[in-house]
Amino acid sequence: MAFVKLNDLEIEVEDGTNIVEAARQHGIEVPHYCYHPGLTRPANCRMCLIETYGPIPGAPPGTIGPARQLATGCTTTVRTAPPDRKLDDKYDAIVQTDSPRVKKAREDVLEFLLVHHPLDCPVCDQAGECDLQDYSYRHGHDKSRYIEVKNVPPKKDLGPDVLLYSTRCVVCTRCIRFAEEVSGTGELGLVHRGSHDEIDIPRSHEGVPLQVLDNKLAGNVVDICPVGALISKDFLFKSRPWFMEKANSVCSGCSVGCNITVEYKVDGVYRLKPRFHEDINQHWMCDDGRLGYHYVNSDDRLQLPLKRVDDEFTPTHWADALAVITEKLSEVEAEDIVVIGSAQGTNEDNYVLQQFAHDVLKTTQLGLFGQLLGEEHKFPQFTIEADKNPNTAGARTILGSANGNVVLEGDTLWEKVSGAKVVYLVSGLPERPLEDAEKAALESVDFLIVQDILPSEITQLADVVLPGTTFAEKDGTFTNSTGWVQRIRKTIDPPGEARVDWEITQQLAKQLGGEMNYHFAGEIALAISENVAGYGDATHQKIGDAGIKLAE
Amino acid sequence: MSDELIQIETPFAFNEENQREFDELIGRYPIKEAAMLPTLHLAQNQTGYITPAVMKYVAEQLEVSVMKVKDVVTFYPMFFEEPVGDYVIRVCHTLPCALRDCKVVLEHLKEKLGTDIASETNLAKGTTADGKFTLMKVECLASCDVAPVIMVNGDLHKNLTPEKVDELLAKLAS
Repeated sequence: MAFVKLNDLEIEVEDGTNIVEAARQHGIEVPHYCYHPGLTRPANCRMCLIETYGPIPGAPPGTIGPARQLATGCTTTVRTAPPDRKLDDKYDAIVQTDSPRVKKAREDVLEFLLVHHPLDCPVCDQAGECDLQDYSYRHGHDKSRYIEVKNVPPKKDLGPDVLLYSTRCVVCTRCIRFAEEVSGTGELGLVHRGSHDEIDIPRSHEGVPLQVLDNKLAGNVVDICPVGALISKDFLFKSRPWFMEKANSVCSGCSVGCNITVEYKVDGVYRLKPRFHEDINQHWMCDDGRLGYHYVNSDDRLQLPLKRVDDEFTPTHWADALAVITEKLSEVEAEDIVVIGSAQGTNEDNYVLQQFAHDVLKTTQLGLFGQLLGEEHKFPQFTIEADKNPNTAGARTILGSANGNVVLEGDTLWEKVSGAKVVYLVSGLPERPLEDAEKAALESVDFLIVQDILPSEITQLADVVLPGTTFAEKDGTFTNSTGWVQRIRKTIDPPGEARVDWEITQQLAKQLGGEMNYHFAGEIALAISENVAGYGDATHQKIGDAGIKLAE
Repeated sequence: MSDELIQIETPFAFNEENQREFDELIGRYPIKEAAMLPTLHLAQNQTGYITPAVMKYVAEQLEVSVMKVKDVVTFYPMFFEEPVGDYVIRVCHTLPCALRDCKVVLEHLKEKLGTDIASETNLAKGTTADGKFTLMKVECLASCDVAPVIMVNGDLHKNLTPEKVDELLAKLAS
C-alpha cells in the first residue's frame, strides 16, 4: 500500500493505482474524458491534470515542491517509495488535485474542448448525464472567448443502432479503443487531421461505408461516450435521463448474467445499461441484451387469464381460471401430471413451482423449459453465451432440489409430456419457436396450462393461459452459468391482471389445499437458502447488488 | 441504416514488381502495421490514388482493420482519395516562400492552368480538365534558401519566377 497525501487527505491506496481512481475512491473528482477504467489510457484529453510534488532539483535535500509540469492523473500511478525516497519522511506521493495551477489548467483545457462544441444541450440526448456539461459547470469558464467560425462536421450513421453527432465529439477516442480492444472489430477510427478530426467508420471518398459498426457490442460505445456524440437510435429522443427511475438488475438475455440498470418510467422500460461487475461483465453488455427488452412494453402482452371455450380463447378472471384448473388437477392421478418450470423464471418462481409439484400435486415429474440453444459469440474481452436463458443453472438446481436432482429436459421431457394428461407449463420466454417434436407432444396433452407473457405458438395450444411477468416486473434471483446468484428487481407493474409467476403458482397451491404462504420474493429466497444445497448464503440481503458466488 | 455497404467490383492487387518491393520492405519492420506508409505509397504509385479496393487490400496485407488504413490515408495530404493529374504541382506557401512572392507564382500557375487550388477533400477543384495537372498549396518543402519553391511529382523547382514557371510548364506539357 502506498501512503499518499491527496490534497488535505492522507490516504492509503494500492500500489499501481492511478490518481484518478485513487481520488475517486476517496470521493474526490478528477475530471476526465479519455480515461475509462476498462480501456487503455492514451492521456489525450488532458482534462485530468494534477500537480505532483517531489524534491526540487538544486535545492537543499529535503525540500519539496510542486513538479515543474502538471501530470495527467490517469497515467500517473502511485507506488510505495523506498525509505530514503519518502517525501516529508512519510509520504510515498504528494498530489494536489485542486491547486490554483490545476484549476486554471482544467479551465483552459475545457475551453479548448468546447471550441467547436455546439450549444445544443436542449436537444441533446446526453444532457443530464453529460460529462462535458457537468465538468463545464464544475470546472469550466463561464463563457467562451472563441469568436471564430466553428467546425460543423456532419451527423453520421455508423451502424444499426448508433448515430454520431460529430459536432459534439471531443475526440477522446474511447469508442475507437473500445472497438479495438474489447470487441476487437476495429470499425472505428479518426479521419482527417488536427481540429478537423472526426470519428468515423471506413468509407469511400464519396461517403459510402465499407464496414459498419454492427458488432454485437456496438451499443457500449454509446455508454462510454462522455458527451452526446454517440447516440443510440433506440433511445433517441425517448426521454430525458432525469425523468427515469433506475433499478439495479440482471440481463435476462443469456446465461452470462450481465449486471444492468433498468431505466424505466410508469409506462414502461426505456433502456438497459450495463453496470460494473468485475467478475462477470466488467463495464459491458451485448446489444442482444441491451435492445432485447422491447417485449416487456409490448401492447400484445397477456393481460387477462384466457380459457378455451368451444375452441376459442375467452378472457376470464383469475378466480374462474384457477377454478377450472383446480377442478382438472384434482381429477387426475399424480403420475399423469407434468410440471415444467422456466429457465427464464427466477429461482423463487421455480422454488415455489417445485414445492407445488411435490407437496401439493405429489408428482415427481418436473421439467425445465428454456430458449433454444443460440450462438456463442466470443470477443477479446467479452463472451455472449449460447444458452439464451438467464437462469438455466438456478432453475435446474432448484427444480431438482427435492427430487434427487432429476429434472426432465429435452427429449425425455417431451416423451413424458406426450403421455401426460395435464401439463402445467411455465414459459415466460419471448419469441420461443416450437420444434415439431415439442409441438406434437404439447398437442397430445389433454389439458395444457400455459403461464406466459405474450401470445405465442405455445399459448395457441393451451387450454388455459395465465398471464405471467417478465424480468422487469418482479423481484427475484438468477443464477448464471458461472454460479453467480444475482438479484433482479421489480421496476414497472405488470400489465393488466398479469401476476408474478410464483404468486400464481402459490394461489393454485392454496386452492388445492397446499400450505404455502409466501408474501414476497425475499421470503422464498430464505426458504431456498435453508433447503437447497449450495444456496446457504443466497438470501436477498446477502446477495445485494454485487451478487454472491456459489461454492463450486 | 440507409447506406448500402460498398461492393468492391474490381479488387486491387500489387503487380509483380510492386509485390517484390512490398515483400522486401515488409521485412524491414518489426510489425506489419509499421509498413503502412511505404505500402500505401507503393499502392498509390500503381493506381494513381487510393480507392476503397486499395484500402481493403492494404489492410489485408498488413493485417489491420480497414479503418486503420483509412485513418492514415486521410491524415496525410500526400495520399489522394480521388484521381489527380499526371503532374501534381505543390506550391509552398510557408513564410520564407511567402516573403519571396510565392503568391505571384501561385496566381500565375492558376491562370496558366486555368484551375483553382485543390483542397484536401476536393482535389477535382485543382485538376485541369485534361487531367494533366493538379495544383495544390502545401506547407514548407524544406528549401527556404531557394524560395519560392514548388514540387512537381517529387522534383523540386527553385527560385521561381513567372518566366521560369512558363518554361517548366512548356517542358511538362510537351
